[in-house]
Amino acid sequence: MSIADVQITHASGALVARLTGEVDMSNAEDLGATVMSATPNEVRGVVLDLSAVEYLDSAGIYVIHGMRASLQARGQNLVLVIPPRSPVHDALRLSGADRPGEVVEELDAALRALNAPPAAGS
Amino acid sequence: MNRRAGGRGTAAAYQINRRRLTAAPSGTLPGMAEPRASRTHRPRLGSGQVALEPAEAILEPSEQVRSSYRFSDPALSELPLDRLLNELLNRVQETLEVDTVAILLHDEEAQQLVARAARGIEEEVERGVRIPIGGGFAGRIAAERVAIFIADVDHADVLNPILREKGIHSLLGVPLIVEGHLVGVMHVGSLRPRTFGPNDLAVLQLAAARVAPAIERATLAARLEHEHTVSVALQRSLLPKRLGNFVGVAVATRYLPAREEVGGDWYDVFELPRGRVGLVIGDVVGHGVAAASLMGRLRTALHSYAIESHGPGRTLELVDRFVHSLDEPAMATAAYAVFDPFTSTVQYATAGHLPPVVISTSGSRVIEATPAPPLGAFPYGRCSEHEFSLESEEILFLYTDGLVERRGVPLSDGIDVLARAVEEADSPEEACLAAVTRLVPVEGLRDDVAIVALQNIPVPAELHLRLPAEPRTLAQVRRILRRWVVERGGGEADVAEVTIAVSEACANAIEHAYSPAPASFELHAWGDNGDITVAVRDEGQWRPPRGENRGRGLTIIASAMDDVQVGRLDSGTEVVMRRRLSHR
Repeated sequence: MSIADVQITHASGALVARLTGEVDMSNAEDLGATVMSATPNEVRGVVLDLSAVEYLDSAGIYVIHGMRASLQARGQNLVLVIPPRSPVHDALRLSGADRPGEVVEELDAALRALNAPPAAGS
Repeated sequence: MNRRAGGRGTAAAYQINRRRLTAAPSGTLPGMAEPRASRTHRPRLGSGQVALEPAEAILEPSEQVRSSYRFSDPALSELPLDRLLNELLNRVQETLEVDTVAILLHDEEAQQLVARAARGIEEEVERGVRIPIGGGFAGRIAAERVAIFIADVDHADVLNPILREKGIHSLLGVPLIVEGHLVGVMHVGSLRPRTFGPNDLAVLQLAAARVAPAIERATLAARLEHEHTVSVALQRSLLPKRLGNFVGVAVATRYLPAREEVGGDWYDVFELPRGRVGLVIGDVVGHGVAAASLMGRLRTALHSYAIESHGPGRTLELVDRFVHSLDEPAMATAAYAVFDPFTSTVQYATAGHLPPVVISTSGSRVIEATPAPPLGAFPYGRCSEHEFSLESEEILFLYTDGLVERRGVPLSDGIDVLARAVEEADSPEEACLAAVTRLVPVEGLRDDVAIVALQNIPVPAELHLRLPAEPRTLAQVRRILRRWVVERGGGEADVAEVTIAVSEACANAIEHAYSPAPASFELHAWGDNGDITVAVRDEGQWRPPRGENRGRGLTIIASAMDDVQVGRLDSGTEVVMRRRLSHR
């Protein structure tokens, strides 16, 4: 059985990638590459919806950091959907690392964050 | 020895024939040249071809008996078709002293004759010579259903190039007919000019009369055998090849084809998210290749809907819609069970299928779950879901009706017999064995049987595992560990945090295993009074964490566990992690 899946849709100028299942060293890089190669230059950014992910470890966190760096280089943003008390939330807490992108609790907030006009002065 | 003696006898008889025949004018033997007056249509013949009809009692009585014996030898009927044809070709060749003998079989669909056995012109068979019905020498024999004699092949209308290449001069052929049904053609040939006469024809027709029904029988048997073999092969190819390694369960399966015909029974076992296991049993109405092929489609459809995380009831409803969408009307019964090893429960739904049996240490019980109608029976059938528990060591036993249906015995009695037959089984394998031994009749099954049995296996209090150092092992480790922590009394947070810590340690071990040869690592876990320890040992050299990634892994281990020790052993590296379970 494949332990994870990714569904990619487009919503108001953003690419939404919804991950499900378990992300570890066996599939993290492939999942990241799938999302990156599906992202066109025209979109404002990528929403990575991790709310249905059942497991994510350091290999997954590493790939998300890499995605953020690649997107930033193209002038695109990465917003993560991570509800509190979710497996991904716990993994990030345990890793103690800085958040690999802007984190919101649900999809609508992610789309609003991507479409918000740039903050004054930036 | 007998054969040789017989051969000499007939050879002598042939000499007599030969003397008599040489006196007759070529191709126009009295009593043979014209078809019988009673024939309703005359064969259309090419130049140099003569249609032959044997007069009554052409052979001398003694010759008749000898030839008759040669081709009616009861020993012949015990031979399989290929050896029978071989033997008959030998006997015809010896008796008629001809250079070539060939048997061509009628391919009804192609409207052709296909060379099947030959002497002297083996190339006919090797090259798979095919002659259209109605064309050439053999084709006309088949179309007109008469014996034909060609005195001089060069001038006759012969399609088969091999006959011409070989330099065959004269040919005599007869149709092989069984109860008015054309089976093929047998012909003999001579390299020297030869006039085949009534005696030759009588001998050839005796051989034809002997061989035709045997061919008919053997062809029919071969066709049935072929269909059976194809169906069984298809059936086998459509069933799961090997069963996955499931955590916390043991699984055994059986598929037994029916004595005569393959059916459409199937089983399936697959892994579902969160360590659950799907178990399927089904039975397509009907037999043969069509049923087996439909079974393959239903098995795939059910598995596809199941991994979409539909529950058993909804999954069967979707398969029902799929069956209704097929071109051909189809019907099947099926049951689908999802076992969750973390809660020891089974979600179960059935579409017209027989009730499952649960075997426990204290005996067995039949699970009565109201079945929905069979798949394909009614449009928009609804399928309700049932839940029952499958405690540690208990076995869920699913089967098809071929196992319990016996003529003149009520089905419920058959199910009771099954429940008693398997009640002492300690494992799924034993349950399958007991059911097959006690319920399958010695003379074989009238209907095919599929069985799938699953046992809830408790995870041992101490884990000692040697695992392949491959990334895909990690998911397996997490499944084992989740259940192990639950059974040690851990709460949700304990399960999540121990799992991620141990998975990170195992990922380290897998990264250490450089060698191109298959490598492995060990996982040991023990503990009591809420204090658990997990050790992960690899045989690789310890390397400092590479970059952020592995460094982050070690941070995770350290935050998730109360104590972490990294030891460098002579043989490799050991990470020992301890945690006091919080029961949260």
